[in-house]
Amino acid sequence: MSRHRLTLSLFLSLAMFAAGARAGVVVVVSSKSTVKSLTAEQTTKIFLGKVVTFPDGQAALPIDQPEGSAARDEFYTKVVRKNPSQLTAYWAKIIFTGDGRPPMLLVDNIAVRKAIAKNPNAIGYIDKTAVNRSVRVVLEP
Amino acid sequence: MHQKYFLATLLLIVAGIPVAEAEPLDNSTAVPVKNAPEPVKAPATPVLTDQPMFKFGGFGSVGVSHSSQNQGDYVLESSMPKGAGRSSDWWFGNNTRAAAHVTAKFTPEVSAVFQVDSEYRSDGSYSPEVEWLYVKYAFTPNVFMRVGRIALPTFIDSENHDVGYSYVWVNPPVDLYRQLPISSSDGVDVVFRSEIGEVGNSFKAIYGTSTHDRPGSVATSEDMWGIFDTVEFGQASFHVSYQQRRESTRNLQTGVTGPWTRNTDLSVGASYDPGDWFVISEWIQRRSTYKIGAMYVSGGYRIDKFTPYLAYSQNSPGSFFPDAPAPTAAAIERANRAQSTTSLGMRWDFMRNYDFKIQYDQVKLSDTSNGYLINVPAGVTLHGSKFYVISAVVDFVF
Repeated sequence: MSRHRLTLSLFLSLAMFAAGARAGVVVVVSSKSTVKSLTAEQTTKIFLGKVVTFPDGQAALPIDQPEGSAARDEFYTKVVRKNPSQLTAYWAKIIFTGDGRPPMLLVDNIAVRKAIAKNPNAIGYIDKTAVNRSVRVVLEP
Repeated sequence: MHQKYFLATLLLIVAGIPVAEAEPLDNSTAVPVKNAPEPVKAPATPVLTDQPMFKFGGFGSVGVSHSSQNQGDYVLESSMPKGAGRSSDWWFGNNTRAAAHVTAKFTPEVSAVFQVDSEYRSDGSYSPEVEWLYVKYAFTPNVFMRVGRIALPTFIDSENHDVGYSYVWVNPPVDLYRQLPISSSDGVDVVFRSEIGEVGNSFKAIYGTSTHDRPGSVATSEDMWGIFDTVEFGQASFHVSYQQRRESTRNLQTGVTGPWTRNTDLSVGASYDPGDWFVISEWIQRRSTYKIGAMYVSGGYRIDKFTPYLAYSQNSPGSFFPDAPAPTAAAIERANRAQSTTSLGMRWDFMRNYDFKIQYDQVKLSDTSNGYLINVPAGVTLHGSKFYVISAVVDFVF
């Protein structure tokens, strides 16, 4: 009985560990960037267009993933704390007053990583599994 | 009116010429490769342009409302000649509109915005009018100047007042938002944005003129200037505005133009929105020959796609300044209008870019007025009475 319970709990914790390791969005910049780390607050301001620079004054170019993608949903829920409707409502206010435009869009984790690797001003969010040496993780929510 | 159509035509001509040159958004080449290994300092001219020159969009709302008070019309704005209640059992005029929007970015410094809006007008039509039309010059990304028709950020949701999708309510709390002195200015503004530590600040100063159509009259404002400031700290936001202008009203039937009066308006607001819930409150004091105040407080909770909310709004009756010339009976009646509204509603984000909202308002008229009900037959007094309004709306953006 207790052995079964132990096996079960071991299995469950392994399963949870595996799930945790697989899912997980991280915020990245180019490995050429001078930015070492960012807070959720600083990242939020860049992605909502409230600031156009990194805290050290370098120009910041945020890159989004398409609506409905897992990385996008997780990033905006965890870091920006807005669900897709809240985000659309936010941008409706900004766009229709002419105050700005949402970040540019690239199709997936790999496209975002490649673009960021080449551009020291770019910032994006990708799944942890897509991270390689060309980019630096600056925030792990 | 003619001026508006002229401006619209002008922009269409300007906008029409370079349309063919607009760059398509090509994702694969959207981020230019930079050869220089050093990152660039934030330049006055951002080096990264990735977006097309022209962006088109639009928004709209289809809403219906019903009032239990059939001896008068319930309206949301002073420009509306009819409303729910006496004129119609089920009324579409309060919350129905459609708008088209173009943003053009000619260079990193120069951009323009054009927005035309069709909604229920003072003449009873839904004729389209130019809501926004300005050219913007950015000295830096954080310091810019705009020339043209610019909406005034008197309240937190004034500039996006027509974009139902951008806020939670069926309409922003009515007893405050109907006090919006002037919705837009034809003139110039300058904006300074700054970031000090975690605190963001946005300062605007405007100067211009405005005309405002009401049923049977036109109000003209001149020498209008205002300062507006918004401070954001984390999920908290504070807003303050001060405006001053000279206003004169011309009666369209008699052709008589009233005297110029000096108007000043001071408003403050605050909101806190950590994501799962929000609270927001705003207040205004308006001074002309009399003084009048209004406020609201509202809050809501987000549960997945549903946002139930509550709101309470009210305005105080106007009190005349002792040094003002003796007011006419009509002026006293106008100043004396006061009411309060308790609202309970729900927003449902049922589909991408669409919402559905339903709202129940209980309106209480002041003990000495018929509130802001219009078209009440002569001799009918509804002082101190209560009635309810139920409204439903679908908002969309594209």
